[in-house]
Amino acid sequence: MSEFIWSLRGRCYKLGDNIPHPGGVIPASLVTARETDPKVLIPRLFEETDPGFSTRCKPGDLIVTGRNFGMGSKAPGYIAMQALGLGLLCESMSVQAYREAISTGLRVLSPCDGISLLCENGDDIEANFQTGVFINHTRGIEHSFPPVREGLQDLLAKGGTIAWLEHWWRTTGSMAKLEN
Amino acid sequence: MGFTAVEKVLGRASGRPGVRAGDVVYPNPDRVVIHDVVVRENKEKLDQIGITRLTAAKKVMMVTDHDVVYGNQRAADRGAFNRKAAAQWGVGKFYDAGQGGHGHIFPIEQGLLLPGMFYFDNDFHAANSGAVGAFGLRAGAEISRVLATGTTWVEVPKTVLLEISGQLKPGVQARDVGFYLGRCIKSGVIPMDLDYRVLEYAGELDQFGLGARVALCSTPVELRAAGIFIPPGEEVLAYCRRHAKMDFTPVFSDADADYEARYQMDVSAIEPQVALPGAVSNSVDVSEVVGTPVDHALIGSCGSGMYEDLLCAASLIKGRHVAPGVRLFIVPGSERSTQRMAEDGLAKIFLDAGAMILPAGCGPCNDAVVGPVAAGEVSISTATNNNVGRFGSREAKLFLGSPMTVAASAVLGKIADSRELSFDTALQKQMETAYV
Repeated sequence: MSEFIWSLRGRCYKLGDNIPHPGGVIPASLVTARETDPKVLIPRLFEETDPGFSTRCKPGDLIVTGRNFGMGSKAPGYIAMQALGLGLLCESMSVQAYREAISTGLRVLSPCDGISLLCENGDDIEANFQTGVFINHTRGIEHSFPPVREGLQDLLAKGGTIAWLEHWWRTTGSMAKLEN
Repeated sequence: MGFTAVEKVLGRASGRPGVRAGDVVYPNPDRVVIHDVVVRENKEKLDQIGITRLTAAKKVMMVTDHDVVYGNQRAADRGAFNRKAAAQWGVGKFYDAGQGGHGHIFPIEQGLLLPGMFYFDNDFHAANSGAVGAFGLRAGAEISRVLATGTTWVEVPKTVLLEISGQLKPGVQARDVGFYLGRCIKSGVIPMDLDYRVLEYAGELDQFGLGARVALCSTPVELRAAGIFIPPGEEVLAYCRRHAKMDFTPVFSDADADYEARYQMDVSAIEPQVALPGAVSNSVDVSEVVGTPVDHALIGSCGSGMYEDLLCAASLIKGRHVAPGVRLFIVPGSERSTQRMAEDGLAKIFLDAGAMILPAGCGPCNDAVVGPVAAGEVSISTATNNNVGRFGSREAKLFLGSPMTVAASAVLGKIADSRELSFDTALQKQMETAYV
């Protein structure tokens, strides 16, 4: 199995505070429908605020948000971000939103206190999700944020909950004597 | 520095005493609860991987509350799928349609969720278990991982303390306390952030019986609390001991626990509250909306589905009739409550009044699988929330009130202050012994 890539480098795509998942990240209809197919979700990412976003972003680009990103436990937008190879750096997000995000295998750091002051749209930025080191190459800034916590690094490195479960079943679960 | 109750419970469950808020742990739950509407997606997800056996299947409780009556073919097919899934997985307890009732009510009544317990649930209303001093945490989509492996990761939540002082006035109920709290948070009078916090109540709690304690959990959960903790008093502990289906050890926060913040609330001046459409925190004193005509009323849901709630509604409805043009749904929280309503004469009171009694479960307060509202209609209910479109048309107006406010409004045909109506004192007296 190839080594998990912990660092992403790309352009900064900046968002403000309190962006709701339905509407702010992806149309509400897809949230209500509990859509999980990346092919359906990708073209709709940020559709209501920035149509065509998915055609302009590139793998490695990093979405930098203000406080309380996602505002709750919804997942479809994170599935699209993960499938596009993007990363997510949030001033803060609810634990339930974070749970949904990392469960999809999305590289995400939260909280990143003050990150909005360290970068602007289009900057060449880099983040290491295992160490929390953030670099803004455009502005020559380096800063450390809390990394993905140890207890969750394995989940992320395996590619999120489904991939983690597949691995678990292959290596452990199918052999285990179940306590019933 | 001492520990909060949730730190102690998660420390015990994860074999790591001493865990603190913010730590990531993998707790071994005492139970796992999954609700009817999400069984299929989780079963299919696991089947696809090839996972056909659950770790600790005997701990798993599958409940049927969201869609009990199968209003369409899809729901009936889902029921059939769930029955097969329960058998294939060999779950410890399967409550099929018409058994058990609301999964966030009947396990509390039956001593299946007990003080000091920790359990995973797919749904965040699991926080109702805080009424007996247990912790139920939402795992969401990761309930599949819990089913397969027996656990998933949990960030230990911070705890905020709310000290209650004063006694509620007659005609004011626990749901009013919740609505009032939501109002105070929204207006900034109580600058409390409940997002993924445990709200721990303290102070003058003896005035709240078991049903009222469940009601106290409702609003904070809707304001995104991870859990509620109401330290069980002697009466609650006695009830739990009498009905316990397994051993339990109550857990309490230390006096010097590391709370994120402490707040106070005097409840003695609270008036009956009505939450205006759109959010539980939109509440105002009932006097501001008295007289608003209503078409639809509902008493039930995880917020007000205990037998106490049915008793107090019956105490106002007895001898009266639902107003012309109003449809009133009564949704008991448990099959046991439905039986008790038949035994105690409550069913006759409701039927004589022209109310419709639905099977135990969520009733309309879940995607309107039964009893929805039409565009332009006005509803007043004890639903857990009144978010736009919660049970029917997005063009309907959904107000929330306490069971007494809803009962009074249903018989008068307009939003009413229940204190203006006489009530049956014997039935209200029975509320004190609804759970013994």
